[in-house]
Parts: sequence; structure tokens; C-alpha cells
Amino acid sequence: MNEKTAELYLSFAGIFHRPHPEVADNLEELIELWQEEIPESKVYIKEMEDYCQEYPLVDNRLNALWEHYIPLFEVGDIEAVPYASVYFDDNGLVLGREAEEVRGFYRSCGYEIGNERQELPDHLAVELEFLALLASEGKIQQLLEFEENHLKPFLRLVLPLIIKSKRPVYSNAAKILEIWKLNSDRKGD
Amino acid sequence: MLTPVVIILKICENNLKKLVIFLFGGKGVNRRQFIKRALYGAGGTAVAISGFGALTKAAPKPALATATNEETTVFSSCEMCRNQCPVAVKVVDGKVSKIEGNPNDSGFGGVICARGNSGPSMLYDPQRLKKPMIRTGERGSGKYKEVSWDEAYTYIAEKVKELQQKYGGESVAFASRKGPHDWFFRAIGKGIGSPNIFSHEATCPMTRSVALHSMFGSEAIAADYGNAKYIVSVGRNWLEGIHVAQTRSIMKAIDNGAKIVVLDPRFSVTASKGEWIPIKGATDLAFVMAMANVIIADGTYDKDFIERYTSGFDKWQVEVKDKTPEWAEKETGIPKDTIIRIAREFVKHSPKAILDFGWRTGITPNDYQLRRAIMFVNMMMGNFEVPGGYYHKKYAAVLKKFPEMSSYAKTLGDIYQPAFPKPSTYRIDGTGIKGIPGQLIPEGDGAVSQIPESILTGQPYPIKGWFVHRFNPVISVTESDRIIEALKKLDLLVVCDIYMTDTAMFADVILPECSYLERYDKVFDMSGKTPKYVLRQPAVELVYPDTKPSWQIYKELAVKMGLGHYFPYEDMEEFISRQLAPAGLTLDYMKQKGVWTPEGMKPFYIRANDHTASLDDIVHRTDSKIEFYSEEVEEATKQGIPKYEQYPQPQEGEFRFVQGKVAVHTNAGTANVPVLNELMPENSLWINQESANKLGIREGEDIIISNGKYEHKGKAKVTQGIRPDTVFCYHGFGRISPGLKRAYGKGINGNKLINNVIGEVGNVCTSMSFVTVKKA
Repeated sequence: MNEKTAELYLSFAGIFHRPHPEVADNLEELIELWQEEIPESKVYIKEMEDYCQEYPLVDNRLNALWEHYIPLFEVGDIEAVPYASVYFDDNGLVLGREAEEVRGFYRSCGYEIGNERQELPDHLAVELEFLALLASEGKIQQLLEFEENHLKPFLRLVLPLIIKSKRPVYSNAAKILEIWKLNSDRKGD
Repeated sequence: MLTPVVIILKICENNLKKLVIFLFGGKGVNRRQFIKRALYGAGGTAVAISGFGALTKAAPKPALATATNEETTVFSSCEMCRNQCPVAVKVVDGKVSKIEGNPNDSGFGGVICARGNSGPSMLYDPQRLKKPMIRTGERGSGKYKEVSWDEAYTYIAEKVKELQQKYGGESVAFASRKGPHDWFFRAIGKGIGSPNIFSHEATCPMTRSVALHSMFGSEAIAADYGNAKYIVSVGRNWLEGIHVAQTRSIMKAIDNGAKIVVLDPRFSVTASKGEWIPIKGATDLAFVMAMANVIIADGTYDKDFIERYTSGFDKWQVEVKDKTPEWAEKETGIPKDTIIRIAREFVKHSPKAILDFGWRTGITPNDYQLRRAIMFVNMMMGNFEVPGGYYHKKYAAVLKKFPEMSSYAKTLGDIYQPAFPKPSTYRIDGTGIKGIPGQLIPEGDGAVSQIPESILTGQPYPIKGWFVHRFNPVISVTESDRIIEALKKLDLLVVCDIYMTDTAMFADVILPECSYLERYDKVFDMSGKTPKYVLRQPAVELVYPDTKPSWQIYKELAVKMGLGHYFPYEDMEEFISRQLAPAGLTLDYMKQKGVWTPEGMKPFYIRANDHTASLDDIVHRTDSKIEFYSEEVEEATKQGIPKYEQYPQPQEGEFRFVQGKVAVHTNAGTANVPVLNELMPENSLWINQESANKLGIREGEDIIISNGKYEHKGKAKVTQGIRPDTVFCYHGFGRISPGLKRAYGKGINGNKLINNVIGEVGNVCTSMSFVTVKKA
């Protein structure tokens, strides 16, 4: 259970981090994981598989991912700002209260923002990666607390924007993450 | 490059994985290898937890253990505009909470403007550039990939080398918004032997610099507004084009009963504080010459000053002899009695009177002659080196020449750089070439709008590469579409900025600079009536960890290009300490105060107590005389004395198109800054009520503005506050970069509609274009 959750969280973290050659090279593996563990994702998988076939070479695939990642998350239209503070703080800026709170949460669980991949603490991918690490360590109570207080409120705001962008890979991955983390909640309501 | 066979193998590999999943029901041997490896490391155990490296393991700490809510103050300097005012940055728990003026600087009095206040919103803006990027699609398509700094440097170094080998170092131009970064930025250009290094000044007050240099042999002349009793503005707008210290001085003068007269086709905020003279566009020189005519005819000029300190006045007398108020009335549209009255009021209040030399883009091609004529009138009244007039800035090198003041002189040290290679050819704008107007262009500035011309025409020789630092020619230089056309022809465009500007969006390589709140800069000299040095230091750690200060960017790039020896320092603490040491100052001292000015020194005017005191030490022309007639200008332009040139006026149905600054924005720099964008997201076109009525245009309606070549949509602001033959918009809007998400497509980019006219001394001309306006 913990292993599966960890793998799923890490797979989504891999997608929502800045495009990386290894993630691009192993995109099929992530798709397979979602197909297997999130059966409702089937309808969104096809488009991603087509994408992988369209860009079989890592370099091409990486450039294609950048082409979408930058206007989606970085500069340009920035269709879905990946920092939670921007949504939760009135002024729409980074490093707001939410960023400090998640940073504090990381610290309380024995984690700091890394040197290898320097990023703001409330970046979507960092939060997902953090949950993967918690799951792999079996820290279920902290995981659930973080999910409820930080990740899910963030996902409710950012995922619709990513989905709306209709950007291949990102939009479908967001939809699958939504199914996994948010729709399951609604079913239980 | 991969061969087709390799491509097929790769496809097979991917399909093989799928086949394994199919055959083994998702439980094949290769399943989730990557994710497992990422999660647990190569050993497949939880010992080597790594994820993707966004987090590292540490000893658990209580949440928010470091939060203290204690406020500290970091004294630094602003960079929301070119003025770089001293500021006090308030920091709480490692975050900038507020910015105020530095109370240690009496000139600024602890005050900053709206732009300065908005700094934190820029610092924490999610739309800032965060990583170096290399273009992957067509220019302007917005297709980029993020790369490491090393990849970016390598790409640039290789491309520059190609250009050097193919076209010579001179084929690469460098342009920046003038500032402390130039020491570093320009060293790259000088290092590759390019003579084509430019500041933004040709789009700003370069004509004034030319005028001052031609008269005084120095550009370091300033106006003592605070003590003046009568101030005439020629299109200057202190209350919207804000320089905090000068704006405060203007308000002080008004509080003390000074009269403000504003010549401007538009009713500016400054005009609202005094007498508005809605002068016909491009005729300011006629007004100034008529003032001189009146003063000479009245015989009220300061004959002693003229005789003692100046040369060539007789030629000026001849030139203005027929420039009567009656003549000027026809040119300017200002009643002759008004001209005479203003001239006499100016005389009455002299020497505490200032006919302002301006701080703005050139109005006409011969704008430098307007600035000269303005200073002629001031010098006719002896309004120099006395309170309430003009003065030479009193930096250390000046004070040293006055024994009673030399103890206040503390000179900053230079950082030694080895000799740069001598460029093998002349500059594209002719700067420095005797016998042509380029002789007058300041070498450190150049005529920046010549760069796109040389890119497009290949004349006088081709420009193939362009480095742009914190400058945005697409919006700052006239005829934006022509600039874009030029950018698209380049072999290499490198832009270093904080935002994805309208120029950056065409770049091959984008280098993300960190903000002024996150970096040191070279200590800069802001001396005025007393010497002053100002420090910029980081108030907080980098918000986006992969952004860098310009001193580091260009040093690292230089190393990659084999030019590292031009950057002989380890870091900026060392650089600054070496600057300060000869002045007997330390970095620690500057960190504590943010500014240094000599304790106990009062404003120093050379002629304050002795109207015959020598000016030899501050006037660096022939025989130390302030030159009305200039041999140098004569040699360069055949106009040693300013001559009036009549420029066309708008025909029926046309309007002169002018633009200017607004208090809450800085030219092409701040339209996307969150707080400032909220205050003013777009501009509109000011059009006179009567003119609007004729065109059936009502307030707020959509309009189309056309200059015959380009069109621009906008909204109308119908007002009595502008001449019927003129329309106006604030500068810096109508942005074309989608990367400036808040500002994108909002308002009017005036420079799209202003024709590309390079002035006589390389200046941009803002008021020479005519437009028509119609309902959209």
C-alpha cells in the first residue's frame, strides 16, 4: 500500500517537475503505472501513448515537453502557476504563508529543500515528491495530514487549470491525478 | 544525430516494455524500474531515499522553528527606475515585508515613490524569469527549453566565436540600461574587440548631456530646484517622471512660494501646480530664443557673468536678434505678451531661477540645440554655482580642487582591468569621428537606434549579434515593428533580464538576473551638492535559486569565453571592499548606513559668497570659459550657435503624437510589476474635447490610431487638458510579450506609432510623428 502510493506520488512529481531526460525517457513506465493502479485513467492514457509514439527519441520528447511546460508553468501565458502560495495568498505572489507552512511541515518530518534540484517549497512537484517520500517511509499519519491541509486544497485549484490547458501529457496527467486524489474523495462524500 | 536504425531500435525498446507488460500482466521484470530507482536508489532499499532531489533528509525540527517575526532593516538602493534611490528594506523572517526610503539620506528624506514601494511584488512575482533558456522554435514563437548556466554560457561563447571569426568582433553590439552593471556587461564587449557598446541614453536625456558637454566640458551639471524661486519647465514633468530627491525639491520650492511655469502641449500633473503654457509641439526652441531676445533687448542679462565666465555670447546675440516675441508667437502659438512676461519674471527671480534643461527623450532631431539654448538663457542670468540655480556636482575629484573642501573628498578606488584589445574599426553610429555629428555623441552612450539600422541595412557594416542587458528596445526605441524585423535577422540575440520582455521573447539565449533586492552591485557615486556613495546589497536570499547577479553572470560567461582576466575579483564583497578602501570606507560601514556623505558638510556653491569666484576648476572648455559658441559643435554640425529650425505642424485631420512618463511606472520597465500593474494596467489616448467631438469620439471609446504605416488600437481619454492638434499617451504600455501576462496587449505602445528618426546627435525623437484617429 505504502509502496504503491509512493510510486504514484513520485510518478506525478516526475511529470510536474521541470522536464528531465530520465523522466522523458521513462514516460511509458509512468503511463503503465497509472494504467494499472488507477483503472479509471484509461480514457486519458491513449493520448499519452500516442504522444510517446510521436516522440520516440528522448531529445525530441524533451524539447516537446519543454514547449508545453514553459507556457504552462514558467513564463509566457503561465496557464497554471505551480506555486501554492500564489493561490492561497491574496496578493498572488510566491513565498507566501503557504510556502512557509509547507516548508515547516517538511522540516517537522525531517526534510529540507534539496541542493540538487533547487525549487520553492510549495511547487506542485515538490509537494508530490514529499508525499512520495513520506509514503515510502510509512509515515501515513503525516501523509494524510499534509494531503488534507496542503496538497488537496492546492490540487483543487491548480489541476483544473492544467486540465483546461489541453497540453499533451500535462493535461492528461493532471486529470489522472485528479481522479486518484480528488474524485475518490467525492465518491466517499 | 541519431540514425534511422537507432530510432527504430528506440521504438522497439519502448514497444518491448509494453510487450513485457502485456505478457506478464503488468508484473514483468522491467516494471517500475525507473520509479523504484528514483525512490529507493539503485539498491532497491529504503536506505537511499532520494526522489528527484527536491528534498533532502535532515534532522526533524519543529515547524516554523526559525520564525521570529522580528523586523530587520537592510539599507540598499532601489532599481525600479534608473535613479537608484537609497532605500531601507524591511525584512521579517527572511522575507521583504516593506520598502521605505533610507532615513540616513537627507536628500531623499526617508521617502520613496510608488515604484519603489512596489519592489516586493516584483521580487515575489511568479512571472519572473527563473532559469536560463535557449530558444527551440522560431524567433518570437515563445518556444524555449531551460538549460543549465553552463550550457547557456557555452552556447553564447561558441556563437560569439563564430561571429568574431566570420565578421569580426565589431559585428556584435551591446546595449544596456545605464547602471552599475555596465562595468561587467561592457567588459564582455570590450573583451571581444567590439566598439559598438551602447547605453539607453539616446532614448533618454542624451541631448542634454551633449549640450552640457559642449558648454561646460562636463555633463555633471545639476539644478538646485529646492532653493529656486522661479522654475520654467520645457516639457519636464517632475511630478510624473519622478526622481524622488528632485520631486521633493520641486515641492519644497512650491511650498516656499516658487512659481512653476510649464511649457507642454499637455496639461501634466506638474502643469497643474503652476502656469500651463500649451505650446505648439516642436517649437520650444523658438520660445527659448525669444526669451533670450527679450532679456537682451531689456539689457537685463548679467553682463559681469557673461564677461567673466563665458565666451561666444556675441554670436548668440546675433542669432536671437530677430527672434522676437512677435515671431515666437507665430511659431509657438503663445501670445507675445506671455513670452515677454515670463522672460521678465525669470529675470526678476534670477539667480534663483531655473529654465529647466529637461530630462527626457529628444523632442526633435536638433533637440541638443534646444538644451544648449536653455542653458544659454540660464547663463545669461548668471544662474550658476549659486543657491537656486545650476551647479556642478561636487564629487570627490571636484572637491579636491578647493582647499577648504578637500577634506571632504574621499575617492573610490578603481578595479584594475588589463588593457582591452583596440577595436579594429569605427563604431556604426560614427561616435567619436571628428567632422560629423557623431563627434558630439558621448562615447559611453552612443546612438542605440543605429543598431537595428545596421542589422537591417548592413550599413556601415553588418551587426549580427546583440547582447541586451535590462533594456527593452522593442518598446523603448521608436518604430517597434522595425526593431522586431531587425531582431529577427540576427544570428545571435542574448538578453539578460528579470522578465520575459518584448525583446527577450526574440532572444536565442535568455539569462535570468536576480532582482536588486537579492544582489550586490558596484558602489555608485550619487554626488550632488555634497559627495555621496550608495551601496546595493542583498536584503534576502535568492527567491528563484537559479537566478544570478549580473556581476556573476558576466564573470562566468567571460571565463567561458576566455576573457576571465578582465574580471579580477572573486566576489562582490571583495570588489566593493577594494572600491571603498582608498576612500577609507568599509563594506561593514556601508552596510550599516547604505549611504556615505561627508559628515558636517553643507551644500557647496562656488559663487554663493563670492560672485567673482573662479570657475576654472569645473569648466573644462577653452580658457575655462562656458561656451555659447562652440568650435566643436561647429566642426561637427556646422551650427556652433543654435539655429532655429522650423519643423512641420500637423495638417487638418492630423495630430502630433507625443508621449510621456507616468508616476507609477518606469518607461518600458514596470508595466508587468504586480502592484504597479494593479494601480495602472493600461494607458489611453488623450484627445482634446473639441477634436474628439469632430471625430464623434467619446470618452472611453475604442479607437484606432494610425501613422499611415502602422495602426494601433486603444481607448480615448477625452479632455480639455491637451492642445487640439496633439494627442498623447503614457509610455510603456501595449506590450507584445505574452510573458508579461498582466501587461500583455493592454493599452497603446506609443513607439509603434513614432517614426524612426535618428536625431542629429543620435537621439531618438519622440514628437515628430503625426497620426490620425478614428472610432474603432
